[in-house]
Amino acid sequence: MPSNDLVQNLYSAHHGWLHTWLRHRLGNAADAADVAQDTFMRLLQRREHLQIQQPRAFLRTVARGLIIDHWRREELHKAYLEALALVPEANTPDVETRELLLELLERIAKMLDGLKPKVRTAFLLAQCEGLRHQEIAQQMGVSVRTVERYIADALYHCYLLRYEA
Amino acid sequence: MTPVMPSPHPDAKTVRQAIQWMLKLRHSGEDPALNERLAQWRSEAATHELAWQRVLHLEQDLDLRHVPAAGVALQTLEASHRRLERRQALKLLGTVAVFGSAAWLSKDLSVVQAWSSDYATATGERRDVTLPDGSRLQLNTRSAVDVAFNRQQLSIDLKRGEVMLDCRQAAPGQPPVTLRTNTAALQTVGGRFVGRIEDDCLRVVVSEGRVFTRSQSTGLIQWLEPGGEWRVTASGAEQVTPSGMDAMAWTEGLIVGKNMLLRDFLTQISRYRRGYLTCSDDIAELRLSGVFRLQNPEHLLQLLPTTLPVQVRHLTRWWVRVEALGRA
Repeated sequence: MPSNDLVQNLYSAHHGWLHTWLRHRLGNAADAADVAQDTFMRLLQRREHLQIQQPRAFLRTVARGLIIDHWRREELHKAYLEALALVPEANTPDVETRELLLELLERIAKMLDGLKPKVRTAFLLAQCEGLRHQEIAQQMGVSVRTVERYIADALYHCYLLRYEA
Repeated sequence: MTPVMPSPHPDAKTVRQAIQWMLKLRHSGEDPALNERLAQWRSEAATHELAWQRVLHLEQDLDLRHVPAAGVALQTLEASHRRLERRQALKLLGTVAVFGSAAWLSKDLSVVQAWSSDYATATGERRDVTLPDGSRLQLNTRSAVDVAFNRQQLSIDLKRGEVMLDCRQAAPGQPPVTLRTNTAALQTVGGRFVGRIEDDCLRVVVSEGRVFTRSQSTGLIQWLEPGGEWRVTASGAEQVTPSGMDAMAWTEGLIVGKNMLLRDFLTQISRYRRGYLTCSDDIAELRLSGVFRLQNPEHLLQLLPTTLPVQVRHLTRWWVRVEALGRA
């Protein structure tokens, strides 16, 4: 666990700089303040001992991960509303269900990050649409064996993230 | 005294096996023999059982079929992923793109003296071509081009259909690349744009870089600003009202649109399927938004009645008419 002193020092020395760097990237002061705050929170929660040679490079790396989380949430939200626009009103879920669903989608989107595009597509066709491997193979123009390999790879990737990260 | 057992930790092979079991089970239906073999495998070692339980949980957690409203989860995940990647590439990894193009500096282009080739695509097909100067050309459905590379000058004759030309990776210092049709000509230095032949013009959307046309009558150069949609003819370019569709989406196998007219949407779809596709006037102005996969246009048509008050009538196998709901 990094000592609170260390984080405290980092905070007083670099918070202003980090906030400016973030505002530049996010284009908005309120979001920048949130992400800067989250960055230092993240450091306090880390279990391993931190030895920081280049504090700014280090803060940037942590903050960059958080920016991507922030963007992912934003894009999911937008894409979700667009997808819902296509659904007849009688079938649209209520507000509470939507929030739960977005949370679920965010968790899954995060897990699938870093998968190869084809692996990701095959996996999503199976998980979202319940398509059989044969059907996925036809849609993607690859063999059934390849589809099986893609889906097994995706599950293995998720397994590692959940149980061994 | 009982020795403290180390907590079992399934190795990679065991996890992979558990996943194989799960996939087998998923598609087997009722199969007592398979269940028995699985039970046998699970009892063989504590790590087998643990891996199985974990994979089972994971699979249930990732099961999105129960998500309300068909297709929403898939569309949301795919569309947001695509945009997130684009955003990351633009804002965080900008430097990588710069290094990428610098690598072309050392590329010796003189080895390619003169070169020409023709490419064409069938209905529903897309094709990706890398040109001798490092540019990328992508052909959409029902398209054809002749490409000539002569004295380091690249020129592309668009005979039919639609292409995306991406010259961002072209070696620096190259002369402009030309895209020509019967009615218009465009040139670019390091730009990226989509051009489509329409009845009397070349329809162009520039996503980035410098793209220009030269009026045949006045000889004046006119720049096509990124972001706009243009009609280009021999006499010049004029900006048109955007259709609400993402002009680049087809390069990723998608139709992406906001508030598109049903008529425009169907016109797009008809380019990717064989046969006639028409709609009655009373519904042509209905609007829809969303991200649609081009892979299976018939499927897109089948889905229409779930989102709009329309019915899809098959007059013959290939002749399809979309009509207002309730018409006899």
